[in-house]
Amino acid sequence: MIQDFLQLTINGLLQGGIYSLISIGLTLIFGVTRIVNFAHGEFLMLAMYATFFLFQFVGIDPYLSLLIVTPLLFVLGLCSERLVIHPILNAPSFMQIFATVGLSIALQNAALFFWTADYRSVKTTYAGMMVPAGEFLISFARLMAFWAAVVISYGVFLYLKKTYTGKAIRAVAQNRTAATLMGINIRQIYFFTFGLGTALVGIAGALLMPIYYVFPTVGGLFVLTAFVVVVLGGLGNMTGAFIGGLVIGLVESYSGFYGATQLKEAVYFVIFILVLLLKPSGFYGIVGAEEMGEK
Amino acid sequence: MIRPLVQAFREPKSYIFVGILLCLVFLPQIVENPFVLHLIIMMLFYAALGGAWNIIGGFGGQLSLGHAAFFGLGAYTCVLLHLYTGLNPWAGMLVGMVVSSVVGAAISYPCFRLRGPFFTLATIAFAEVLRILATYFKNFTSGSTGITIPQNMGFANFMFREKAPYLYIVLVFALLVFLISYLIEKSRFGYYLQALREDEDAAESLGINSPMVKLKAAVISAALTSFGGVFYAQYILFIEPYSEFSLDLSIQFALIPMIGGMGTAIGPVIGSFVLTPLQELLRSWLGGGFAGLYLVIYGIILILVVIFMPQGILGLFKRKEIVNKETLPSPEEARSGQ
Repeated sequence: MIQDFLQLTINGLLQGGIYSLISIGLTLIFGVTRIVNFAHGEFLMLAMYATFFLFQFVGIDPYLSLLIVTPLLFVLGLCSERLVIHPILNAPSFMQIFATVGLSIALQNAALFFWTADYRSVKTTYAGMMVPAGEFLISFARLMAFWAAVVISYGVFLYLKKTYTGKAIRAVAQNRTAATLMGINIRQIYFFTFGLGTALVGIAGALLMPIYYVFPTVGGLFVLTAFVVVVLGGLGNMTGAFIGGLVIGLVESYSGFYGATQLKEAVYFVIFILVLLLKPSGFYGIVGAEEMGEK
Repeated sequence: MIRPLVQAFREPKSYIFVGILLCLVFLPQIVENPFVLHLIIMMLFYAALGGAWNIIGGFGGQLSLGHAAFFGLGAYTCVLLHLYTGLNPWAGMLVGMVVSSVVGAAISYPCFRLRGPFFTLATIAFAEVLRILATYFKNFTSGSTGITIPQNMGFANFMFREKAPYLYIVLVFALLVFLISYLIEKSRFGYYLQALREDEDAAESLGINSPMVKLKAAVISAALTSFGGVFYAQYILFIEPYSEFSLDLSIQFALIPMIGGMGTAIGPVIGSFVLTPLQELLRSWLGGGFAGLYLVIYGIILILVVIFMPQGILGLFKRKEIVNKETLPSPEEARSGQ
């Protein structure tokens, strides 16, 4: 009984680590630009394909390909911002959603067109490797993803806290008008933040490749969950995204075992709606910040 | 209520409308090609559903991406009642509309506090929950296998062998939605809605009971969307959670008024008459050998429309007005005194 519970907790935390990893980039983009980026899942998908092809044709290990995939995604993020997001920054949020949905549909189907709907995976030596922890066995690749989530969220947290650009990004997230008055070029901040957020999902893509299959619609599995995590944790808050991811992972794990596996998504969507209604600033968000840019 | 209609018939534009309507009425007598009839049914169908969305989304500015919830609720209520109690589909349709209205009101009321992307995300989550529930209760809804509606043709059962009766029903449906939208556009209620959309705080300070107005619009919109769900179920005689409650469907409902022109009665009609044939043609040209290519083009068109035609097709004809508006400060600029 207690054994089951501990195993479920471990599974939940590890799955939560994966959600955190994907959500860190999104919380940065959503928190700062307030753009609901539906293409976030497709960026993840592209990062996974890039990792896959680097492994398949060049023989680079997924963990090593981070060094190539992350800058690649950074540039992709910058390009998408310039071409798609930049022209609609002042459009109503709804128009922005349609633009990112358009981007998501186009990228997803371009992947389908070029790489077919086949499921692909990398065959690494450590794919099935288990790490013993007490009496439990933990998947090595999932543990790596979990620790990466810890390190990255802490790293981005420090970056936002300590550096000049980081402070400017936080200022823009908190109050656009005040940030502009302080002489921050918000267009530049948006541009850079979008690139940074996309680069972070690039890291997630590379780290997930040893765990998951990649196929054109893989991003769709994660993108709604990532939004739940982001709102739960509070917009633009790294600690929030990390904790939010773990909470969703645990909820999924427990509700899957004690309730029904098929209902786990319903449970966290209900939590999502409740958080939006009762505490729209999330766990760590700034109260009232969720209305910023709307008033 | 009658006056705006009488006034409308003084304008020459409305005779073009009547002309198109007459053509559609006699069309099944002339055209027998089922593909053409299907295309026209789909054009009218999406015009009606885009119009239903437009009542709360376009006029009221409450941009929902969860309208598939009402679509699916209508379809499932009607079909399940028919299967388990033998209730007539026409009566089931009315029950479905009532269920959707009640659920629509119960969900919309708390969500109306949310603004911008948060409202939209909440509506998506709501439709997803319904989809998961419809998949989960297998014994009742047969889950993701879906339900094939047993064939029993005849008007009483809302089931026909030919396409023509469906065309007439969907024509009446589209006309009903258009008339309701037109009356809203010209009424005090419609002005309230539009005032809310432009600036909710200002509208409230002028004495508009904003939650009540939004609620009414949401209920009308949900009921009409539910009618569409029943029609579609009876048309293809099959329902399944992934297609009934899908996000793609909700996106489609919102996209049509956006392409035509949001917040106008005629916008969704124009949107559907342009977009639906375009989609069908792209699909039939590119759908065969090149998997996905059609949707790549669709996605790119979507981005280009948002960037270059944010006011939709109607906006192209109102360019002058928009240019004039741009010289005025936006509410945000006026408030911050820039």
